[in-house]
Amino acid sequence: MLYNEPSPLEVKVLTRRFGLPNSQSLDTYLASDGYKAFRKAVEMGPEKVLEELKVSNLRGRGGAGFPTGMKWGFVPRNSPKPKYVVVNADEGEPGTCKDRLLMENDPHQLLEGMLIAGFVVDAHVGYIYVRGEYRYVIEILDRAIAEAYERGYLGKNILGTGFDFDVYTHTGAGSYECGEESALLESLEGKRGVPRIRPPFPAVAGLYQCPTVLNNVESFSAVPAIIRDGGAAFAALGTPKNGGTRLFCISGHVNKPGVYELPMGFNLLRMINEVAGGVRGGKKLKAVIPGGSSCPVLKAEECDISMDFDSLAKAKSMLGSGGVIVMDEDTCMVKAALRIMRFYQHESCGWCIPCREGTLWLRKLLARVHEGGGTQSDVPLIGELAKNMLGRTFCPLGDAAAMPTIAFVEKFREEFEAHLNGAPCPFESKPVSA
Amino acid sequence: MPNIQEILGSAAAIAKGMSVTLREMVSPAVTEGYPDEPPRLQERFRGTHILERDENGLEKCVACFLCAAACPSNCIYIEAAENTETTRISGADRYAKVYNIDYSRCIFCGYCVEACPTDAIVHGHGFETASYNTSSLIYRKEQLLRPVKT
Amino acid sequence: MANVKLTIDGKTVEAPANTLLIEAARRAGIEIPAFCYYEGLALQAACRMCLVEVEKAPKLMTACTLPVAEGMVVRTNTPQVAQARKSMLEFVLTNHPLDCPVCDKGGECELQDMVFRYGAGESRFLEVKQHVDEREWSPVVFYDRPRCILCFRCVRICAEGMGVAALGVVNRGASSEIAPNRGDHLECDECGMCIDICPVGALTSGTYRYRTRPWEMQHVGTICTHCADGCKTTLGIRNNRIHRGNNRDRSGVNGEFLCIKGRYAGDFAHHEERLLTPLVRSQDGFKPVSWAEAIKTVAGRFAEIRQRGGKFGVIGSNHTTNEENYYLQKLARTGLGTNNIDHHRTGDVLSLLRARVPLATTADLYHSKAVLIVGVDLAQQHSFLAYQIRANWRHHQARVYTVRRGPVREDKIAARIVSVEPGGELAGVETLRDDLAKEPELVILFGDAIQGEAVARLTEFGSSLGIPVKYVCLVDYSNSRGAVEMGVLPAEGGMTLPEMMAAGDLDALWVVGANPLRRHALAGKPFLVVQDLFLTETAQAADVVLPAASAYEKSGTVTNVCGEVQRLQKAFETPGTKTDLEIFGLIAREMGLDLKQLGPWTPSAVFAEIARTVPGYDLPVEVLEAGGAVQAGPSDGLPDAVWAPVQSAGDTLFTSGTLGRYSKMLNAVREAPGELYRA
Repeated sequence: MLYNEPSPLEVKVLTRRFGLPNSQSLDTYLASDGYKAFRKAVEMGPEKVLEELKVSNLRGRGGAGFPTGMKWGFVPRNSPKPKYVVVNADEGEPGTCKDRLLMENDPHQLLEGMLIAGFVVDAHVGYIYVRGEYRYVIEILDRAIAEAYERGYLGKNILGTGFDFDVYTHTGAGSYECGEESALLESLEGKRGVPRIRPPFPAVAGLYQCPTVLNNVESFSAVPAIIRDGGAAFAALGTPKNGGTRLFCISGHVNKPGVYELPMGFNLLRMINEVAGGVRGGKKLKAVIPGGSSCPVLKAEECDISMDFDSLAKAKSMLGSGGVIVMDEDTCMVKAALRIMRFYQHESCGWCIPCREGTLWLRKLLARVHEGGGTQSDVPLIGELAKNMLGRTFCPLGDAAAMPTIAFVEKFREEFEAHLNGAPCPFESKPVSA
Repeated sequence: MPNIQEILGSAAAIAKGMSVTLREMVSPAVTEGYPDEPPRLQERFRGTHILERDENGLEKCVACFLCAAACPSNCIYIEAAENTETTRISGADRYAKVYNIDYSRCIFCGYCVEACPTDAIVHGHGFETASYNTSSLIYRKEQLLRPVKT
Repeated sequence: MANVKLTIDGKTVEAPANTLLIEAARRAGIEIPAFCYYEGLALQAACRMCLVEVEKAPKLMTACTLPVAEGMVVRTNTPQVAQARKSMLEFVLTNHPLDCPVCDKGGECELQDMVFRYGAGESRFLEVKQHVDEREWSPVVFYDRPRCILCFRCVRICAEGMGVAALGVVNRGASSEIAPNRGDHLECDECGMCIDICPVGALTSGTYRYRTRPWEMQHVGTICTHCADGCKTTLGIRNNRIHRGNNRDRSGVNGEFLCIKGRYAGDFAHHEERLLTPLVRSQDGFKPVSWAEAIKTVAGRFAEIRQRGGKFGVIGSNHTTNEENYYLQKLARTGLGTNNIDHHRTGDVLSLLRARVPLATTADLYHSKAVLIVGVDLAQQHSFLAYQIRANWRHHQARVYTVRRGPVREDKIAARIVSVEPGGELAGVETLRDDLAKEPELVILFGDAIQGEAVARLTEFGSSLGIPVKYVCLVDYSNSRGAVEMGVLPAEGGMTLPEMMAAGDLDALWVVGANPLRRHALAGKPFLVVQDLFLTETAQAADVVLPAASAYEKSGTVTNVCGEVQRLQKAFETPGTKTDLEIFGLIAREMGLDLKQLGPWTPSAVFAEIARTVPGYDLPVEVLEAGGAVQAGPSDGLPDAVWAPVQSAGDTLFTSGTLGRYSKMLNAVREAPGELYRA
């Protein structure tokens, strides 16, 4: 199912089967080069596949942007322990909704990516950890898996290659924290979803303390195209260090919100104006969160920027999971910060002190400021508390809560100050949809 | 035979001396009529202690023992007990079941008042503690508590 | 493991590779604060107090998870680290109630200390604090969520240390809280380890809460009088009353361990039925008399029976001190001229001593590569030994073997489990021969299932394995082992305890700290003198009852199940009672016995004589005086003593013979035993 009109500017690699009739079925998949990449990978052998991945400059699509080829290379192939392939389909980042489409429209592409990963690291079992709220997606996946088993694309001796692979789906219980890879593994093992101490990383000691390849749905889905068309071709689509295309989820105050596959390094302003049809109601652009709610906000004048990991890092923001949230001039930035903090406070797992207590304090503080109960000293306090959390929490969730807050206070300080000492929210009379 | 200067000199000296006397006669007295009338004490005079109550009439003392710990002469003795749902003595979880101050040892230094986190103990203005019997110098909680306002 | 060199605050520190930075720093005298880090428990990195600067690391690192490495440069005293600590404490204090004046932990609270040292002077938190009502999880465990800082120490000590896993975490984020295994109440050992390990006042004990404050008590480290494991318990005494027991200074053989009995069951000493005056039987029941009169009555009858050559029987105790046991048997043998002296034997120590095999210490249980437990539910009857073995399994991956009749907690950590019928223990052990022979070393623990001949056969089995094997004979009560070694046993020709009870022709029976009428019927009508704390079944039948002091009210030494001798410290006094040693002395003097030959009745003088005369007890007094433990031995195997069958008292975690019956706390906890406990 598609939720938005495709844009002519899109470069369709991962989404090429989107919109085809019955795109979820194995037949449709096979009709458009399905499972060719796996056959090719078996011919190439694991080393060459890894090489190809490194050439493709594919960087993890979950948020951190770690090179996928390198990550798979860390898995000790010769370890006597069983190895696992785990798909992180716990897509919880506000503003992000790409993995859902990939699983809904092209589940076999994901399965093929898992097969290749399993072949590369010599794993024979794969798990897809699906977000609790995506329960219906599990049905689609299970149907695709059953179909693949039936036709010999999963199970024993796949396609006569002698390679065995089993795939299971598993649902989360609706915790954002379980999108963090080690918390996901804990949850998959049936424990409380809290992160693990790292090192060791999942590549060495992951699921059941065994070597594990753990990637995002989009990363796995990109693998078949890379192997089929070659890493160099994929890399050429993007910028030098950021290979390929990426699914951007444009939401907020634009005319045509939706998920668009665009090359890495696409300009953010063009994305808003040309792909998503510009800011809604002809209003002025005020700010953009470029990669999901955990990324620091960009002011309108900072938006003329290439959307890749490195350029955004230079602008002190992040590409994250590709959730572009556009906010127009009527948006109250204090309320936006509060909304985001409310989310992180609700999702904090409670493991470490700075995140557990810091998010709650900040939520209460932001709520008070937004209601006009703040004083002059509260504005720097917001920034200071966020900085006290930054880099000191157990897992990245604390950073994810702290970074946008710091940016909001730094970049829109005058708006915070307009809320102080009993002043009503200047935007409250106008419609707010942050 | 005294000359006139001496007489005048003596008279002047007497007049000068009497002027002080006469002036003091009409100016207000600095001495106090104690014990015929109550003494006037400074606000911060440190007399026998008073255990305060809060606005609801509950005892302020929560039996934290900090006064006993601060006391240099070791004259405060406390036994704590827990408030129950049916009997509530203090505002917090527990109260002082026993609170004794031994005035044969107390040096009225005020450390207990300073140590008290709930402002439960203050110095009153009582000072007439003299007794023929030292055991009567140990004041119990009932003697120290501020009476309930009626 | 090879050592590495690193620099902490400009100081060069050497530590074995893989040591955690926090430990290396502590050993070098540099304190890195932490709440969640606790030596020996799983790592957590949750409190973020131990953040330090490490050169070349992009951000602050947690010292509790970072292993030291060669050339590492660490700084713990920079403004950035100080600021991090301050901010963490500020976060902790946001929802922590500032009720220190009424909090039980006030004065010994780690959070208080940390805030005092590293925290900010003022609070910037103006919002409303979260409040959750306090909960009663069991008669001894209360949980106050707002005070909880969620360091998860309690969860870990319960799961890892005790092997019970009665605590867990529910909810998420700032609403997270610790929850007991039965939803709203606990079903567990009630050991109170969670309370002791709690850095703040979130977990408080039902027996101590709101009673007093830490600095108001005298803290007396003595040996727990309940079971034979010989744990040190530090009693908090105020106004001649025990308010709590704990072991925060970890100075005993038991480290931080204490079970419910050591921690809370000292309340028997203050039970209202405690005997406070001597009683003499008259026509119409017991008549309270003065000590002088009671001693005169006893000594008079004893002297008279002695003079006419009457028959004496003496039953000693398995929880009086070594000094008392020694003095009693000497008094019986030389003063009363009888060889009829025995005590309730709960384990066949005699046979083991005669086998002349190496005996294990409590520390051996923690270090030995393999442990074999034969015929006993260790977690129920010897919870400290079970704790040691669990810690060994956790830290050193020790291999544990169990040979038992029904399921026991040690099964969970066992490499092999052998189920046997009663009496089949030795055959069960034999089936483990191949596995055990592969072990580098072994400690064998056995209970009363193995006695007499079987002990010899078990030690033969051990010797035939060809590996170093050490043994522990499990006994009940605090000084069963000492009673054997002090010679409270009949020599050839003397009567054993069952024989004395059945004899019918005794003229006098002197029972010291024992209750034989609970298990045996008394055949004759001897002049019965009982020294005890309470009016037990035996005391009720007595002609004279003398109120004795408990182990917490006297000095002396006791020998634990592993033969480790430790010193009791007198913690308080119960007016009206006298120590058993003093009573012996007074009776001896009143009888006109040769006091020069008996020696003075002070514990130190008697111990000096024990050191001279009892094989294996020539122990360094300075170590004992300083609160240390020394294993006695080797023994000469008491060649004269008469062997008799043994029977365990069968106590559980919540019973402790007579003392347990008079502990209100133990009974309150025991009222609703869950399915976890079969007892």
